Parts: sequence; structure tokens; C-alpha cells
Amino acid sequence: MDRALKARLESRFGDDLRGPVRQRHDQTEIRIGPGAVTQVLASLHDEPSFRFEFLADLAGVDTGEVMQVVYHLWSDTTPDWLRVIADGLSRDDPRVPSVTFLWKGAEWMEREAYDMFGITFEGNRDLRRIYMPPDYTSFPLRKDFFLPDDAARSPGAGVRPMERTHAPRNAPATATVRRSGA
Amino acid sequence: MTTTSHHDAPLGPGVSGSSDDPRVALDRDLGVFEPVPPYPPRTEREAEFYTLADGQLLINMGPQHPSTHGVLRVVLKLDGERVVDLDPVLGYLHRGVEKLCENADYHHVISQVDPLEYVSSLFNEWAPVMAFEQLLDVQVPRRAEYIRVLSGELNRIASHSLFLGWMALDLGGLTPILWSFIERDEIVELLASLTGQRMLFNYFRIGGVNGDLNHDFMSRLGDWMGRATEQIDAGMSLLNENEIFVRRMRDLGTIDTAQALRMCFSGPNLRATGVPFDVRRAHPYSVYPELDFDIPTRAEGDSLARYLLRMDEVRQSLRIIDQCLHQMPDGPIMAKVPRLLRPRPGRAYAAVEAPRGQYATYAISDGTHQPFRMRIHDPSFIHLQAVGPLMEGHLIADTMAIMASLDPIMGGVDK
Amino acid sequence: MTVISRGWGRLTLPGKLVFTLVPLLLAVTVGLVAAIVLLGAPLVAVLTDNLPIVRFVVAVTIVLLMTIPTAFLIIYMEMKIIALMNLRIGPDRVGPFGSLLSVVHGLKVLMKEDFTPTGADATVFTWAPVVVYLASVMTLLVIPFAPGLYGQDMNIGLLYFFAISGLGVVGLLMGGWSSYNKYSLLGGLRSAAQVISYEIPLTLSVVGVILLAGTMSLNAIVENQSGWFTDWYVFQQPLGALIFFIAATAEANRTPFDLTEADSEIVAGFATEYSGMRFGFFFFAEYVNVFIMSALTVTLFFGGWNAPFPWPFETGVAIDLASLGIGLLLLVAIAPVALTLLFAAPFWIASTRLKGWHALIIGFVLANLFIVGLLGAWAYVELDWVAGILWFMLKTYVFVFIFVWMRGTLPRVRIDQLMDFAWKWLMELAFLNIFITAAAIIIVEQLRS
Repeated sequence: MDRALKARLESRFGDDLRGPVRQRHDQTEIRIGPGAVTQVLASLHDEPSFRFEFLADLAGVDTGEVMQVVYHLWSDTTPDWLRVIADGLSRDDPRVPSVTFLWKGAEWMEREAYDMFGITFEGNRDLRRIYMPPDYTSFPLRKDFFLPDDAARSPGAGVRPMERTHAPRNAPATATVRRSGA
Repeated sequence: MTTTSHHDAPLGPGVSGSSDDPRVALDRDLGVFEPVPPYPPRTEREAEFYTLADGQLLINMGPQHPSTHGVLRVVLKLDGERVVDLDPVLGYLHRGVEKLCENADYHHVISQVDPLEYVSSLFNEWAPVMAFEQLLDVQVPRRAEYIRVLSGELNRIASHSLFLGWMALDLGGLTPILWSFIERDEIVELLASLTGQRMLFNYFRIGGVNGDLNHDFMSRLGDWMGRATEQIDAGMSLLNENEIFVRRMRDLGTIDTAQALRMCFSGPNLRATGVPFDVRRAHPYSVYPELDFDIPTRAEGDSLARYLLRMDEVRQSLRIIDQCLHQMPDGPIMAKVPRLLRPRPGRAYAAVEAPRGQYATYAISDGTHQPFRMRIHDPSFIHLQAVGPLMEGHLIADTMAIMASLDPIMGGVDK
Repeated sequence: MTVISRGWGRLTLPGKLVFTLVPLLLAVTVGLVAAIVLLGAPLVAVLTDNLPIVRFVVAVTIVLLMTIPTAFLIIYMEMKIIALMNLRIGPDRVGPFGSLLSVVHGLKVLMKEDFTPTGADATVFTWAPVVVYLASVMTLLVIPFAPGLYGQDMNIGLLYFFAISGLGVVGLLMGGWSSYNKYSLLGGLRSAAQVISYEIPLTLSVVGVILLAGTMSLNAIVENQSGWFTDWYVFQQPLGALIFFIAATAEANRTPFDLTEADSEIVAGFATEYSGMRFGFFFFAEYVNVFIMSALTVTLFFGGWNAPFPWPFETGVAIDLASLGIGLLLLVAIAPVALTLLFAAPFWIASTRLKGWHALIIGFVLANLFIVGLLGAWAYVELDWVAGILWFMLKTYVFVFIFVWMRGTLPRVRIDQLMDFAWKWLMELAFLNIFITAAAIIIVEQLRS
């Protein structure tokens, strides 16, 4: 529990924080709104007093009422993990700015959060599904996801065309290799 | 044939033709697969990747392939023999572990989480167990902590020997994998006499470990420790002094420190670029502060450095095991923890240094007997992202070498 | 006709077999006898008139047939030796020590479904394995297995060898291209690049031997190396031998140069779409290639069929068997019995546990071994082709073992490293070797005169 870190965070980000800085065991937690993500995380990354250069984890969370995106950061200026919760994303259209401009490695973690929750990360160049097939119509880790019904609605239900050995199925007209003119 | 399937009917607007793997387009005449999605590209990166310049071709590797470390599909964009770009397609081993854990008791989570990085199962259990212990404010007895460290380091050595074998196999050497399996087999038998299982150990419990050290385990461990160093050296000598092997791996997939931190690397991949970040020292947990070991670091950042670094780590692990055996305290191996756990609502994050990197769990509890959210952060997932950028300008043969040197396990990548 | 069909229907299977095969056999026998009686004499006359052609045809047939057991043997060697190097056991169920496993593999490959993938060019697809196999096997024509045991002794034998073995590239490219598969294409192109690159050091490295021997005829090269083992060309051309062996490994697509079949990268390279006997042909061709390259190394550098030391004694087993008369009958009748008793006696005397007839059995076996040993020794000394083939096979299989050893120990090189090595190192060294050899020959001649 690093009290000095709490003081520093409160003095620097006082306005952006929604709620007090919580600390428990070896973790410090701050809550911000989705709009503040870019500025807060960039400051945490760049400023010499913080230098949170290591993004340990990027997770999506569905609390039942709102969605959250939780970032875990580490810096060698403090022995604590820093948890940044981007709180208050709506459950209908959750949007949050992407942090891929700071950490390229966040790209796949954001893809996973999109795939599992439907959270759109604005600025992520590659926001497509990563675990589920690209035509999947639902977001599995949401609290309103019911597995059997959803699977029945998925186009993958029924006979799988890959197992048919005879005539090829009708592929849509867009199924060609795109070539650039260059 | 009178049976009609709905797939013969024309597809409606906005619905793409799906199958197990819709990233294929059937050439109507010949039934040949071109690994292109059957829909227009949806993201910038997809457009950039699936647009071919003159002379480029897309080739599909996997999911059945002799050497993608598990079920992984990789689409390569080639210009002759050079790989211009690479797009991994995941999800073939996705089991929905996070969702399953939300419907499992806190104790059941351990069995669910074992098969993630199945080669190093104990670390998969360690992080969730630590997170739950934080939520419950449970103090783990010192003997249990020492046993955890001892078995964990044994698992680390087993995982690294497997890495050595796979690395050599992907480069064409048939012998080192079999020799390293001898070593791994011995360690796995050791752990079987301790935990009862050879691979998915299911050994850690919330509040301690499942079984105490027994005579069989201790005597076998003593025997093995006597032989371990020379066995490891024999396995390494096949590769370290082999000119072909060294030349294949030197300057392959070089990554520098800034790039590695941007890619969120951790573990041996990060330490091979020069950053001495090890969760055991940076953010100590368990009884690591009492143990004396070094953090090997190398500065080159290429595959050879990653390989040599893991071998150095094996030696450090042997040191740690030695100290654990000497400093093992007496006492209970489990704290008093009720059968049905209902932690207070809260959040906890716990990270351990797995053989592949930082393996972490973010657990949210809502007061019920099941975790509300059980987020698993897996290092192989992060490292696999980097294969694309690292492949720039290398040849197909190097795809396998780079992937092997980053040591991903698809169970962890796909969760 | 219904009588016949009803009668036929009532027969059991053996009956049906008898009633079809016996008339067939009778017809064939009568036909053969008639042919021999009518055409036999003129046929034999024609054959004896064209004895060289007959000899050639027989030699070629034997060589072609011998490739199959050779391939089987080398496949088994590879499986077993690599297994032992890997601290495993390898094949050990089928036959003693698993030695019949490769035979079983051969049968299995025959029984697999032979298909052509859609989109593949059927003609080229079918002929590719044939071309590869023929390119390997035709080179066996010129290799001298023993004095007098060769297919054809051409005075451009070495040139013929390299020309024909280079045709294998065409087969690989055919296979890779016609498969309509990107992996095969990559594998075929890789292998073509590799084989072509290593042709140059291969051929250049033997120019030194040609200079020393003064001829390209393989038979003459082997005869030039007769005498003590120090006469072998490896001691006069160490660099040439080394370059040749490395280039031969690359030509034969063996580890460390086996990118064409790198199964951890491009599945099976050019052979990805092949199955059944077509794949079997590729497979055989590779192992026959290993044998050929070893055989050529032995022929050019290690004395061919020469023993390492000349037989020191003058032997002439001057027994005229005809002069023994009835004594020959007695010898043939009595000798085995006598030897059996002779060998059985020590066992019977020394051990109380062995009964009389146990000792006799041991004695019989030992007597047989002794007689065979004597005959073998006589054959070795008297018939120079027995000694020749023995030494040739021994030396060749030493090199086959080295090929297998390399496969078990070494990893693969990358294609650009491989090309680098051929064009930047081996070719230059081969040129250097030629210059040094030529200079040395001239200097030695000057010194002598």
C-alpha cells in the first residue's frame, strides 16, 4: 500500500477521478470516465513522476449495470500495481478510446474485450473478433448472454458445410482476393 | 439426393456465408481454398492485410500443422520466400474458461484454470489462488508457500526443457526433443508423486497446497538433483555449440527494449532485450524475498538470446529448489478455509512469474459463492501478437523459429 | 450353355479355382513348350550373337530390382539408428528387431488410394515421381560394384552420372508445379534452387579426381586406387572429398539441407499432395539417392571395391576336384559327420548338463558355420568379385550411416544460408582445389623429369 502514490494521483488527476483512490493489499485503484482514458493513461505513461510504462492487463468487465474497462499498470517508482477503471460505459453502446497509441500490445487485449463484451475501442486499427467466428452475433461474457438460445441463432448451427464432400456451396460474390492496383 | 440444407439457399443480404472457418472463399470451379474472408474487410488492418500487391500470395498455415504450438491458424502474406505480413487466427482452442469460472465455486476454479498453459499448470493455479486469498484475507502458512515455490520451480524447469526440445524440432533437429523429454518425464514423475497428477496438477488450494511432501517425492528429488545439472548440460550441448543452430537463431526476430515494452512483453522475452523485469523481484509474492537468486538478462533480443536466457533461468531454478529444500519450515500446509467460500465484495489482482511471462488474474467478487468476474491474463496471448511485426523481411522457415522462440502455448492464447 | 452355368453355380470356391486355373496353366505350359521348341534355337543364337546387349539388359534389370531392397534396408537403418540416437528403441515388433518394418511400409504404400487432386495437371502429376525415380536409378548403371560387376563402363561415366542425376530437378519441379498447391510450389522451387546451386560445387570438386586419374571412367578411377589404402584419392584430394560430400548431402536433399521436405515448415514440400505409390516413388528415390551418393563417394575417393590392403599371400587352391574320383563322394559324405562330431566333442565332454544329442545339434550348427566360412574365405580369395562387392558394400554403408547420423543430429539450414554457402564458399573452394591439384600435378611431373 503506497500512500505516497495515492497522494500523487489525487493531486494530479483530482478532477478526472470518480470517487476516492482505493488501496487494498498491494493494489491502488482509481476510477475515471471513458472520455478521460486517453489523457490519463498518456500522462501515467509519459510523466517522469509516474512512468507507468508496463501495461500488465486490459480487461473488460460487465457489472450488470454498466460496463468497465480495467487497466493494470506497473511502474518501478512504486511497489503497487495501479488499477485504472474506466467506469460508466453504457451497456448498449460501450465506447472507449483505444490505448494502442501507447502500447501496441493492447491491440489484441482490446480485440478480446470487444469480442467478449462488445466494447468498441475507438482508434484500434483491428477491432474484429478474435476468439469467436467473425459472423458470431453475440458477446459471450456479457451478463445477459444465454448460451443455448444464442447458439441456435448462430449461422454455424446445423450441418457444417466443411464436412460436406460434394458440391461447393454458393459463395457470395465478394469472395475474391482483393488486389491493389499498384 | 433430396435433402436440402439451408446452405444451398441463396444467402440473405448482410449475412456472410459461415462455416467452421469463414475466412475461406471457395473457388467455384475447383473447390480450392484461398484464405480470404468471404466478406469485405471490416477493419483497417484487415484491408491492409488482405490486399495483395503484385507478386504476393497468401498462404495458410494450420490449424493442422506439424509445428504451430497447438491449434493455430496463421495466414502468411508472401513475396516469394519472404514473409511480408502475418495474420494469426485464434479461437480453435477457446473453451470459455472465464465464463465457466463465473459459474463455478471458488474452489472449482482451480480445475478449470489448469489446462490454460498446460505445460506449466501450477502457475495457472497460483495466480487465481493468490487473488482469492487476497479477497478472503487468508494467510497462507509458510510451509505451504515453500512447497508452492518448490513445485513451481520444478514446473518451470520442465517447461523450459520442453521449450528447448520444441525449438530444436522446429529447426529440424530430431534428437534434442527426445532428450529433453527424458528430463521432463523425470520431473513430471516427481510432481506426480507429490501431487498425484503428471500434467494438470490441481494441487494448489485456496489457503495452501493439497498434500505434504512425502518420502517418495523427497528421495526422488534428491536423486534427480544430483543428476540434473549434467542432464541439462548434455541437452544444451547438442545445440549451443552447433553452428547451424546458432546461425539460424542469431539475429532472428530481434526486438529492442522500447518495442518490447510497447508490445507488453514480459518474462524471458522481455528479459532477453535487457530489461530485468521479473515479477518475483519487481513485485515479490510468496517467499521469494527470502530466497537468493539472480535475474538473468541478455541484451541482444534475438532468438538465440531468448533461448540462452531460458537455459540460464533453469540453473537459477535449481538454486531456488536447493534453497527451498534447506530452508523448508515445519508447520501446516493449509490455512483454515471454509468449504463454501463467500468473500466480501471486492477486487483483487495477482500476478506470478510463469515460465512464459507474467501470468495474472483479476478477480471480482460480489459476495456470492461464485466469482463475479475471473479475468485471466496470459503471457502467450501477448507474445503471439508480436510474431507479425517481428516477421518483417524474414523467410517462411523463420516463422516457425520465431514463434518457437517466443514460446507460446495455444491453450493459454485461446483460453 | 445353361448346363455349364448351372454346373458352375454349384461349384464351391476351390472347385471354381481348379476349373479356371488348371486349364489356364495347361494352355500356358503348352504354349511355352511350343515356343521353346520352335523358336528356342534361333533365340539362343540371337542372344549369343549379341552378348553385350544381353549382358546389359540383365545387368540393368538386376540393378533396377536391387534398388528396392536397398531402399528398404536404408529406410530401416534410418529408423533404427535415429531412434537409438534419440535414446528410443525404434522398430522392434515386425520381424527380428523390426527389420521387416520397411517391407511392410512398402506394401502399405502400395495399398493406399491413389488420387489426383482437383486442379492438378494429371499427366505431369503422374509422371513427376517416375522422372525422379528414374533419374536416381539410372545413375546406378555406371557404378562399379566389383571388378567386372558394372552396368556399363563408359569412358565418360562420371559425366553421364552428373547429367542424369541432374534430371531429378525436373521431376521435383514437375511435382511441385502440377500439384495446384502453394506449399508444393514453394517446396518444388526451393528444391530446384537448392539442387541447381549445389550441382556446381559437386561437379567441380571431382575435377581434381579426373585430373589425377586422367579419365572419367569410374571403373578406371577405381582401378587407379588399387593397392594400399593410402592410394585412395581421399588422401590426395581431401578438400575435394569434403566439398563433394557436402554437396552430395545437398543433392540428396538430406539433413542439414532437407528444406524441401522440411516437415515442420511446409508439411511435405513438393510431395504434399502425393499419396500411395506415387509418394512411395519419391520416398524410394530419396533413399536410392542416398545410396548412390555414398556409392559415388566411395568410388571416387575411397577406393571403390578395393580392399584397404592388398592380399599378401599368393593363393592358389590347387585342388583338382576331378582327380579325387570316388574320394570326392566319401569326402562329401564323411566330412560333415566328422566335423559335427569334432565340434560336438568339447561340449559333450566339458558339460555334464548337456545331453549327447544337444551337443550333436550344437556341433551340427557349428560345422555348418565352419563349412560356410571356409567356402566364403575361398570365394573371397579366389573370386575377386566377392571380395570387391564385400568391400564396396561395407564402405558404402559406412557413408550411408554417416548420412543417417547427420539426420539424427543436425538441424536444418535456411534457404538463404544454404544458397550463400553454395555460391560464396563451396564453389570458390572447389575452384581452389582444381588449381592446387593442377599445379601439384605439373610440379610433380617437373620434379620427376
